Amino acid sequence: MQGPARVLRGLAGVLLTGSLLGCGADSPAAREAPTAAPPSSSTASPSSPPARDAPDGPRPVPTAVSIPSLGLAEDLVDLGLDEGGTLEVPTDPDRVGWFTGGGRPGGPGPTVVVGHVDSTEGPAVFARLPELTVGDEVVVDDADGGRTRYAVTEVADVPQTPFPTEQVFGATVEDTLRLITCTGPYDAEAGRYTENRVVSAVTVD
Amino acid sequence: MNGPVGPAVHLDEAPDRRGPTERTSMTHRTTFARPAAGLAATALVGASLWAAGPASAETEVPRPDSFTSAYTVMATPDGIIDTEGNPAEGQPGATGTFDLMVNADTEVICYDITLDGVTGEYESPAKTATHIHLAPAGEGGPPRIAFPNPEGDGTRTASGCLQGPFTTGLEDEETGEDTGEGFTLADLEADPTSYSADTHTADYAAGAVRGQLQQVPVGGIDTGMGGGATDAGEATGAGTTAVAAGGAALVVGVLGAWLLRRRAAGV
Repeated sequence: MQGPARVLRGLAGVLLTGSLLGCGADSPAAREAPTAAPPSSSTASPSSPPARDAPDGPRPVPTAVSIPSLGLAEDLVDLGLDEGGTLEVPTDPDRVGWFTGGGRPGGPGPTVVVGHVDSTEGPAVFARLPELTVGDEVVVDDADGGRTRYAVTEVADVPQTPFPTEQVFGATVEDTLRLITCTGPYDAEAGRYTENRVVSAVTVD
Repeated sequence: MNGPVGPAVHLDEAPDRRGPTERTSMTHRTTFARPAAGLAATALVGASLWAAGPASAETEVPRPDSFTSAYTVMATPDGIIDTEGNPAEGQPGATGTFDLMVNADTEVICYDITLDGVTGEYESPAKTATHIHLAPAGEGGPPRIAFPNPEGDGTRTASGCLQGPFTTGLEDEETGEDTGEGFTLADLEADPTSYSADTHTADYAAGAVRGQLQQVPVGGIDTGMGGGATDAGEATGAGTTAVAAGGAALVVGVLGAWLLRRRAAGV
């Protein structure tokens, strides 16, 4: 399914987010998507919290991510928080999303990017994320046409319960990027994976 | 006039069970500035974080198993507002991060604070100098929660969990009530960006660093549907050893070290 890299132009932000399916059979049916987020190229979004302060003002939103070693290049969809305060995930297993309430490239981090490891039928967009290792390059494009290059510094599996929120989402002074997908044993009874693979990277620009 | 307020802290409670950091349990020594003196600092070491006082004040508690919301703050010298409502300068080059985990059902807030480049003695008319204020960006406002001041050489840290009701030791000028009076964590959850976190020092009394609360997700990331991550349709992750395909070894960084410690502890 995940053959050559596919670049989808012009769709960033158009696909509404919301958790359509979780990690298994008892996932909620398609919930009504939240209020449509403005296209991710806008830097002032009523549904996005203010960007983390950077010395030169709010940074432009990230619009695409590419991972050369995986042959992956994808536009980003906006992901906010659902009513339970958990992170929305892309409705489409082929899409990669970014947490709009987090950091942005070029400023204090972390910028958080997530994608499904699998769909109900097979591998999804981040199926090969666990192949990444220290030193691998990740590139993030932004709405101003800028490009920020990152190098992986850490790869870790963490439990989903209890989830180390502070370590993954806590503010970082450095321009940090975290790529996240599911991993670990799949709990069929609970209908979700038990762990998250968290790939951390820092800017090399 | 008013000394430190709050009941004695029971240090024989279960230790802080949070795993993810190397830090030892919450700092039990802090310095206060009594409201009357303004500048005098009293170091309390040992059994009491706060001397005996009114019955209603926060207590240190173990980390809860779950949270209703989470926030982080990137605190910088920019954005400091003084008590007159005017912009003020913070400490150049200083930074602070505040990670806040909230359980509004049990009125518990866990805090993990790191300051870099903040120097000198703390100073505040409240019972500590490190606060959450009801203060939107660009505005000042009263403190609602007073955390123990971060300690350390160079990098200063403080972490732990507090259960309300919360008091700050600072009286509202008009009502005479403690500025924490009536505040609950549900208020914070309802409007988090209207709250700021900061720390105040003798050199930067209006604030050395400050930032607004930004909500982050609670819980794990539900990015999998169970169909299998390999082309053969096999479930991903044969176990939790987390060796990447291709033989790449798991790197033990901050997150990985946490996971290995949890395994060693049998949790």
